[in-house]
Amino acid sequence: MSAFAIEHRAALSGKIPLISTSVTLQALPEGHVLHVLSANAGDDLSGKIRAAFGAETLAVRFVSPGQWFVVGDEPISAAAHAKIVQKLKPHADVIDQSQGRVRIAIAGAKAASVLAKGTAVDLALNAFPVGHATTTLIGHIATHITRISEDRFELMVLRGFAESLWDELAELSAEYS
Amino acid sequence: MASLIPCPHCGQRPKEEFTVKGAALARPAADASREAWFDHVYLRENPRGRYDEHWHHTSGCRRWLVVTRDTATHEIAGARDTAARTETAK
Repeated sequence: MSAFAIEHRAALSGKIPLISTSVTLQALPEGHVLHVLSANAGDDLSGKIRAAFGAETLAVRFVSPGQWFVVGDEPISAAAHAKIVQKLKPHADVIDQSQGRVRIAIAGAKAASVLAKGTAVDLALNAFPVGHATTTLIGHIATHITRISEDRFELMVLRGFAESLWDELAELSAEYS
Repeated sequence: MASLIPCPHCGQRPKEEFTVKGAALARPAADASREAWFDHVYLRENPRGRYDEHWHHTSGCRRWLVVTRDTATHEIAGARDTAARTETAK
């Protein structure tokens, strides 16, 4: 137990959600982000990870060969975390990134158009289907993008970049609001 | 288009997402002569044409790739993961 109680402040607590008819921007609750890494880049562990977490499909997101993020809006207790680590021990290591990465939701008919102004990734539905996740640059910021539905994306960045990315997205979506 | 790299894990990505290390050369044996190591570390032939180069997908999957690139025409012949060695179509 630490001698000091650390007060958790959300990185984007000062940002009011931007809501318009064609694009909405919203900071998501800083619940949990767990980074799962397998020693073998060739293994597809997504099924085992879902089972260990009891997580839904969209909560387990591909990062790079042998790596996944598991995200959610609720914090995970130390006991639950230890249990998950134990379950996945034979296959992969689990690293808590909850304090290190922040999620932003962007949705609406123009969400893909806003992102397309910042990134070179092909966001067409056939190339980037629902559930697909990848890391790319939005402007100069490395961002992990997941497609939640046809017109909804979740972005995840290192905490220190969250405010910059938010401001950039607000500017990119200004023409649609 | 030299500015698009066909990452075997992420698909076509702009060069800004990558960090280039340089030519992918065979290393001398650990017990090779001083001359061989000096040659490997400091001396380069630098011919025009096709190279295998190490590229790191820094802002993407963060894997090291071997990109085959022509320094004269900037054409990219392919890219493969340094571990998997799987060639991707352009």
